[in-house]
Amino acid sequence: MSTLLQVLLRSLETGAIYALATLGIIIVFRTNRMINFAQGVMGMVGAYIVTVLNQNFQLPLLLSILIGIVAAIAIGFLVDFVIIRRTKKVTGTGKEIITLGMMMVFLGMTPMIFGVDPMRLPKVIETGELSIGGANLSFNSLLNIVVGIGLTVALFTILQKTKLGLAIRTTASNEKTARLMGVPTKWVTLFAWALALVLGTLAGVMIAPSTSVTVNLMDSVQVNAFIACVLGGFQTFYGPVIGAYIIAIATNLLSYYVSSVWGTQILYALVIIFIVFRPVGLIGKRMTNKV
Amino acid sequence: MNSKSTKTYLSYIIFGVVLAALPLLVSTGIIKTSWVGIIGGTIIYAIAGLGLNLLLGYSGLISLGTAGFMGLGAYISAYISGDLGLPWELGMLLAIVIPLAFGILIGLASLRMEGLYLGIVTLCVSEILRKTFDELEPITGGFSGKKADFPTLFGVIELDQNTTYILLVVVLVLLMILTYNLANGQLGRALHAMRGSQVAAQAMGVSLLKYRLIAFALATAYASLAGALYVHFIRFVYPSTWTLSVSLVIMALVVIGGLRSIFGTFIGAVIVYALPDLLLKNIPVIGDINGLSYIFSGVLIILVVLFYPGGVVNLFSSIGNKFKKNDSSAATLATAADAAGETPVAAATTEGTEASNE
Repeated sequence: MSTLLQVLLRSLETGAIYALATLGIIIVFRTNRMINFAQGVMGMVGAYIVTVLNQNFQLPLLLSILIGIVAAIAIGFLVDFVIIRRTKKVTGTGKEIITLGMMMVFLGMTPMIFGVDPMRLPKVIETGELSIGGANLSFNSLLNIVVGIGLTVALFTILQKTKLGLAIRTTASNEKTARLMGVPTKWVTLFAWALALVLGTLAGVMIAPSTSVTVNLMDSVQVNAFIACVLGGFQTFYGPVIGAYIIAIATNLLSYYVSSVWGTQILYALVIIFIVFRPVGLIGKRMTNKV
Repeated sequence: MNSKSTKTYLSYIIFGVVLAALPLLVSTGIIKTSWVGIIGGTIIYAIAGLGLNLLLGYSGLISLGTAGFMGLGAYISAYISGDLGLPWELGMLLAIVIPLAFGILIGLASLRMEGLYLGIVTLCVSEILRKTFDELEPITGGFSGKKADFPTLFGVIELDQNTTYILLVVVLVLLMILTYNLANGQLGRALHAMRGSQVAAQAMGVSLLKYRLIAFALATAYASLAGALYVHFIRFVYPSTWTLSVSLVIMALVVIGGLRSIFGTFIGAVIVYALPDLLLKNIPVIGDINGLSYIFSGVLIILVVLFYPGGVVNLFSSIGNKFKKNDSSAATLATAADAAGETPVAAATTEGTEASNE
């Protein structure tokens, strides 16, 4: 029982990380109508900035994270200003190709700026743990869980209750009409890209202490976040978040109880089989194309 | 067969003969030996690119599974001809058929949904395959890698690096001819119609799923063939070879070279794969920087999609059009048809279609 609880608690932590990365993907998808394949590497760049500030410049971790977030916002603005604004006339596939190109640029630039040696990022809370029903939960994991859920809730409140959220939802539902109605869609996409960068950076900072900071830092997070979007459906903001937690729980359960080597592969295969029967995902409407 | 396709075939064959002359130039000492390896690699990338071009160029679907399928082809071929000691030809055949069957299953699962999922599902499949390559040590050799030999044709003719290179050229030319026929045959026409208007194509009885599936299956087959050729040319393969970056590079060469262009794919492969190796690394100071070729291709992709959707091959035809008045009207027609990704090559293919209808 305590092992099951342990696995579930760990799933909540990985779920929080996946949820943040997933939200980054979905907010760009909904407002720009494009799948951002560069989400993972953008988070990786953010995590690198935090790590370098903390390790090479000896800044306190929290300050490094804060500067990292500011830098992420700046990169998000830059990406939107320099590239995304010019893609209005490009087809959907063209936009996706552009995100793949951005991914290559980021992947090439990272070792150039930050060097090729793997780095380490410490945890925010180094020591201490809770004991819940025989399962252990470190304070840092608890913090990650709280940050994950807290940010998700905050984001949904913004989406549902504020004027900015209304603008985002209108843009997501129909960009052209939104623009005609006076919604500043340019600011909405700008906000979406900055937010995606910040969420990616936070996910990177959360996953970094459990591994080393390299260019491949976010690879598995990115794949899991995409799988979560597929599972939850691209039509809503909350579907993918539910998907992220399901993926996290299923990965950990499968790799603990079934096979530590083949667990992930089995899960991906299951999700692919799932979309055969329900192509729109758990929560989703069928997209229809009007002639 | 008409005069247009004969002329095209001839141009491919002449191109192949020129490429095949490379080892001769090496033996006379005009160019370095390392060029055979680099141009051989370029040919392998171009083969995978031709398949992806059918998918990406004609049906507008993105596949990020190219690397995974290349790896699958490479390991199957190396295992059958190396560990089992069976003929090289059988290894090649199975190295295409098994990934092809796998690709059809994945296509069936993911293509029913607006094509949106194919990129994501192939990304996941590539990830599954890469992890499998790590773990399946008896077949793949795990992290330490797997060796293979140069091919032995029909059990008697043992090839060396130069003759394997010529084999690569032969395969490339055959595939160029095959791709030309596919693109101008029923498949190409159906995909063209779908790109123009999905609804209109469906109304005319074109099955979206069927033709998308065929295009994806072909991309898979080309990729696995490229992988199988890779393992017998480079003669060594690690699981870490088949990461997402290979898929990205192949997509880059297709986009940069020119969508729906056969020569463009090869030109793209030269720009993305060979140029960084041959030129960039020789430039002092910046040549030593890691990841420069990556930035180079990434920036090129973005620029091509934004400002020059026809790709680099378009440069040649737009220069050609300056001298020919008749062609320019066809080119404008083509650009008007789809502002976001049409090339004069499409005009050429429409001409081809008309010719074959006669």
